[in-house]
Amino acid sequence: MTNKAIGVTKLRAKYSGEKQLIFNDLTLSIPHGQKLLLLGPSGCGKSTLLQIISGIIPGAVQIPLLAEQITKPESWGFVFQDPDTQFCMSYVDEELAFVLENQQIPQEQMKQLIEEALEHVQLHLPKLHTPIAELSQGMKQRLALAAVLLLKPDVVFLDEPSALLDPEGKQYIWETIRSTLAQHTVIVVEHHIDGILDWFDRVVVLNRQGDIIADGHPSHVFVEQKSFLMQEGIWYPNIWEEYFSYQSDSPSLAFRAEATAELQAQPNTSGSQPLLELQNFKIKRGAYSLDVPYAAAQQGDWIAIRGKNGAGKSTLLFALARLLASNGSYRIQGEDVGEDIPPSMSYVFQNPELQFITDRIIDEVTHSLIVKYDKERTEKEQSEHWIKRLFAPKQRKSRIDLQQLTLEASAALEQLQLSVPPDRHPYELSIGQKRRLSVLTALVENRSILLLDEPTFGQDARSTFIMLEWLQQLQASGVTIMMITHDEQIMRRFATQIWHIEHGTLTTCSPAQALYSKEADDEQLTQLVHT
Amino acid sequence: MNSLLNWFTPNKQTWLHRCNPSLKFVALFAIMLFVFFSRAIGLYVGYIICLSIVLWSSSGFPARKVALLHIPILISSLSSGITLTLFGRGNDIIWQWWIIKISHESIHSGMMIGTKSLLIGIISLLLLLTSPPVKLLYSFMQQLRLPAKYAYAFLAGLRLVPYMIEEVQLRRRALRIRRVQADRGFAKIYQMIKLYSIPLIAQAIRRAHRIGIAMEAKQFQQKRTYYYITSFSAYDGIFVCIVLICTAVALIVPELPV
Amino acid sequence: MKKLSLVDIVVIIVIGIVFGVIMKFWDDLYSVVKPLLPTLRQLIYGMWFMVGPFAALLIRKPGAALLASVAGASLSALVGNGFEVLMYGLIQGLGAELVFLAFRYRKFSIAVAGLAGIMSCVGGFLLDLSYGYAELETWALIVKYGLRVISAFIFTGIFAYYIVLALEKTKVTSLIRPIDYSEIDNLKQ
Repeated sequence: MTNKAIGVTKLRAKYSGEKQLIFNDLTLSIPHGQKLLLLGPSGCGKSTLLQIISGIIPGAVQIPLLAEQITKPESWGFVFQDPDTQFCMSYVDEELAFVLENQQIPQEQMKQLIEEALEHVQLHLPKLHTPIAELSQGMKQRLALAAVLLLKPDVVFLDEPSALLDPEGKQYIWETIRSTLAQHTVIVVEHHIDGILDWFDRVVVLNRQGDIIADGHPSHVFVEQKSFLMQEGIWYPNIWEEYFSYQSDSPSLAFRAEATAELQAQPNTSGSQPLLELQNFKIKRGAYSLDVPYAAAQQGDWIAIRGKNGAGKSTLLFALARLLASNGSYRIQGEDVGEDIPPSMSYVFQNPELQFITDRIIDEVTHSLIVKYDKERTEKEQSEHWIKRLFAPKQRKSRIDLQQLTLEASAALEQLQLSVPPDRHPYELSIGQKRRLSVLTALVENRSILLLDEPTFGQDARSTFIMLEWLQQLQASGVTIMMITHDEQIMRRFATQIWHIEHGTLTTCSPAQALYSKEADDEQLTQLVHT
Repeated sequence: MNSLLNWFTPNKQTWLHRCNPSLKFVALFAIMLFVFFSRAIGLYVGYIICLSIVLWSSSGFPARKVALLHIPILISSLSSGITLTLFGRGNDIIWQWWIIKISHESIHSGMMIGTKSLLIGIISLLLLLTSPPVKLLYSFMQQLRLPAKYAYAFLAGLRLVPYMIEEVQLRRRALRIRRVQADRGFAKIYQMIKLYSIPLIAQAIRRAHRIGIAMEAKQFQQKRTYYYITSFSAYDGIFVCIVLICTAVALIVPELPV
Repeated sequence: MKKLSLVDIVVIIVIGIVFGVIMKFWDDLYSVVKPLLPTLRQLIYGMWFMVGPFAALLIRKPGAALLASVAGASLSALVGNGFEVLMYGLIQGLGAELVFLAFRYRKFSIAVAGLAGIMSCVGGFLLDLSYGYAELETWALIVKYGLRVISAFIFTGIFAYYIVLALEKTKVTSLIRPIDYSEIDNLKQ
């Protein structure tokens, strides 16, 4: 173990095949024992910097790279963002053993070391030979940390360790980090800095070009750079409160907030028929079943669906979209829903790539526009008298003017601030942009019910707020929103109804009722933040 | 996915399970090579009887499951056999109609292929049912000196299979949601292949890339100790004896005057 | 010519496994169709040859075709397609690899990929001869392997090539292709 500082001097790097430099003569030195937080907009190269300092680049990954000096740590560990792709083995003990095997620890000692490592990160499992697939995402990240600790590192790199975790997972991973890494040099890239700033000695902020624009103690940097951080979408403390105070300053948005509050205060006004109604609705999927005694959505409702991972939220949405079979009564506008996907429904999956079907962004939008026009045409045809239909000239796929469609698609992209070259492949977008594109393709179809599966998950603040504003506008124009989310702020501030899935049953309540018991925990969280 | 893996978990550990996986692999592969390049139906039948006795007695699975697993093998053998019987080369014709030409030779060819396929299927079952993949690969590394990078890369790949299968399902649903209509004919096959393969392969590449980096970050190296130590035991001796006995029976019995 | 790194190997083996899974389903489809319409069966047989050339087109490093083919065959064997696929995977992968080697791993066109597929087919044919699958009437032999060769070319030359092309557009391939060392010089100004 040495006390040497690590870092880079005059680093230049770029991605293979691209002209733009990621870093231009960047110099950063990290003394032994420091806890460093690296902030910056998405795509500015923070993860790449971590990989360069640790030696992953050029050890495992090659990119064009040039520097006056790179001082790598002698022993280090790395925790990656995605809990599912950090492990190569299928069982907890095998994965930890993998690390020990690499270090040539004798087999007799392995079991005990594994037990100790798990104890160290507070991962209590009934047996060592547990499949990793049975762990929650938060537990997987803790397992990753356990594996890192087995390497006995001097320096630990963490690349957005909590980005893909739910709020509970985030809390636990940071507790574990604080308790286990007190003596190490730690370099962290994060976007959600609510509640963790106090632990760090130093914050470095990068701008979009990869230059350091701030470097110092958290309290200083945070105050100085707040507007920049806000602009670039970092989740800083109190961001929600500030966003809403900004909202209330704007009259149209304030109106929206008031209307939401009204809807939240009084549930379903008696007499008016609900838009969507479930009664004794049951879904069976293998060993798993979901029971909905009664649930109803009004037009213009914003329904937040919550529950633990695996509770069945996605299953519910699949069944509503008729992608899964169900029993019981399911009515939209008073009529029973059949086996086909209801024409009034559109669905946005959690992984936006799964919904892309073309090679160009503009084509994704035009496809949905064509679907919309087809739907309108069939509806129009069906509403005409049957005799008229019988004698109407046979119309094959109408040759809708492609040029006009493209114009309409471009306009839609612009209106929703997705300003990207329309010829690019959808996969080239950032995660936030992909999400928005996928929601856009659903919007453009002009259907009255929108189902969304965790649309704000893993995104920076800016993308999230843009998305939420879109959804609010939609709601104002009469669309009913049904959204799976675990974000409490969204539930509290935007939802008009909460559907809660637990132990195979769905119960409904209003946001005020739902979060009542959580008020106390929120108080505690805000305390942490203001330290 | 878990339920699928559970179905393939043996009820009990028999002596076959306790044998060294590499030994089983090498021995059974050797038998398979021998059979593959040979042309004696008598040999096959002899092996089939002997190895079936071993399989049904010592697989560690209930007879019902073993029987179920034989079904695809039987289907495959039958169809190969029938194809060769109907269209096989031969001059001593028994029955002919249009392009179908059944002759003594073609019946012989058909029977040979059928029994050969059946035998190879039984050999495969014998190995698969008694060797879980992880132990098998650890044994390859320790006994057969398989470089560790291939073994762990394969294990990592196996890990990803449940994710891939789930994504195929999700992709099918997403395509329905997007109301994708396919054109007819050959273009449809190509379009469908593209629509499924692009997201799934792209995702597979990304995941594989990340896992590879994570493995490197865990200081992966060839020189290592092993968590699961595989070695030889008395059971391996028994296994070798039984293999030799089966081979002897299969070679000698068909030659006996009957 | 670069050696395969650990990351490369993981990617190649995973691709092999993906195709192994696909081949499992393809096989189920296949065995039902087999005795009824032998011609149709041969036309879709090309899928079996696709792994090797696809991996080579994707990664463009020596050894990709062979490794992917063996990995795919291993998975096939694991899920119960029978032991002998290992041999077929090895020989077919070798056939494809030799073609790319012959072009010094510099040409990755439709023709080269298609040729690699055809060589895989030839390798498979040699194995079939020993097995006994080829004991057919001459006309049947020509139909069977003729169609198979055509199918091989379609799947490896055309489908594999265009799918890799489509993947390149997604920029996923930039993760795995070898970098151009002249780019480092560009950094020096």
